[in-house]
Amino acid sequence: METSRLIHQLADGTRPVRRLPAPWRRVEIWLAISLPYVALVVAAHSMGMPVDLAKLLSERQFVVEELATLLTAVAAATAAFCSVVPGYDRRVLLLPLPPLAVWLLSLGAGCVNDWVRRGAGGLELHADWSCLPPAAFIGIVPMLVLVVMLRRGAPLYPRATLALAALAVAALGNLGLRVYHVGDASIVVLVWHFGAVVVLSLVAGWIGRRLLTWKTAGNTTAS
Amino acid sequence: MDPSNDANSLGKLMRAAQDGDSAAYLRLLQALAPLLRQTVRQRRKFLQPCDVEDLVQDILLSLHTVRATYDPARPFLPWIMTIAHHRLADGSRRQMRRAANEILVAEYPETFPDDSTNRGETTYGDPEALHRAIGRLPNGQRRAIEMLKLREMSLKEAAAASGMSVTALKVAAHRGMNNLRKSLSVEA
Repeated sequence: METSRLIHQLADGTRPVRRLPAPWRRVEIWLAISLPYVALVVAAHSMGMPVDLAKLLSERQFVVEELATLLTAVAAATAAFCSVVPGYDRRVLLLPLPPLAVWLLSLGAGCVNDWVRRGAGGLELHADWSCLPPAAFIGIVPMLVLVVMLRRGAPLYPRATLALAALAVAALGNLGLRVYHVGDASIVVLVWHFGAVVVLSLVAGWIGRRLLTWKTAGNTTAS
Repeated sequence: MDPSNDANSLGKLMRAAQDGDSAAYLRLLQALAPLLRQTVRQRRKFLQPCDVEDLVQDILLSLHTVRATYDPARPFLPWIMTIAHHRLADGSRRQMRRAANEILVAEYPETFPDDSTNRGETTYGDPEALHRAIGRLPNGQRRAIEMLKLREMSLKEAAAASGMSVTALKVAAHRGMNNLRKSLSVEA
């Protein structure tokens, strides 16, 4: 087909389109849906296990870790939304690195504290398989919402975008899971929680090109 | 025209296009096509004109699919150039994949792996040896071979002419061919 004919075809079929809101506005929308859901899953799972939130918030380690987790989720989601809008500097993809580093450092510091207080027993690793269903369940809705929202953008960096999305979702899920995993040693959180975040991000990045693709010509002229 | 004004006017046309103004969209795409063509030619100097045009069309189609992502508050040219850059990279990846899976040859070097199908020229065996081998066949097999293979009669015609059943003819012809193959390979 000649380019001039294609141009006329595209222009003839054009209809008003709803502009994408700014990335931070989209993060707000995502959080508005995801946070209540995470809170609901946490409330449902911790039934019968009273959580002393006031006591938790008085622990510096817990507060730093939770804040870093929340900031990681927000920064990763912002970076993911920016990555599907052409024209942003690609360095925006590195946005979640600082809060992620703080999160990792706080967990590392927790491991050292446990070791100093309890010796080698403080670094003992155990698996808590009963935690797996809520951990998987807590991420379903935030991930679905995020992927649907991201698919409205341009798949410029599909792998990085989906890895960032997984990081945002896993961090948000971790924010909730930590509330009733307060007694866990830092090494358990580091290996199981943070490890799951890394694995999820890598797997999501691997399938990124399949989930986020440019639409075909057939779809475009019809829209 | 001043480039910044030009970029501003392109941004305004894009905003109108997002609102459904097809005339503005037509003007925008017509203004962009030469710009994109020039960009593709600069970045892919080795491409043929038809391949350049393919890439330009690819970028225009991509622009169309993601036109909702343009924010009128942000500059237009970085937006379209990012799309162009990524579509060019995707095009290169496609081409590399295709090149990795394709082998260009003047003629196919072989048809099937078996040696007999890959002889450079067709050779014929010795017709005298074939006649002698047919003559050595048992009577039924020889008649079946003569009628079905040499005279190319159908099974029905051969059955009528010989008085043998179709099944018996098939069996005799099959055994005859096997015996011929054996005796010819021994002679060779």
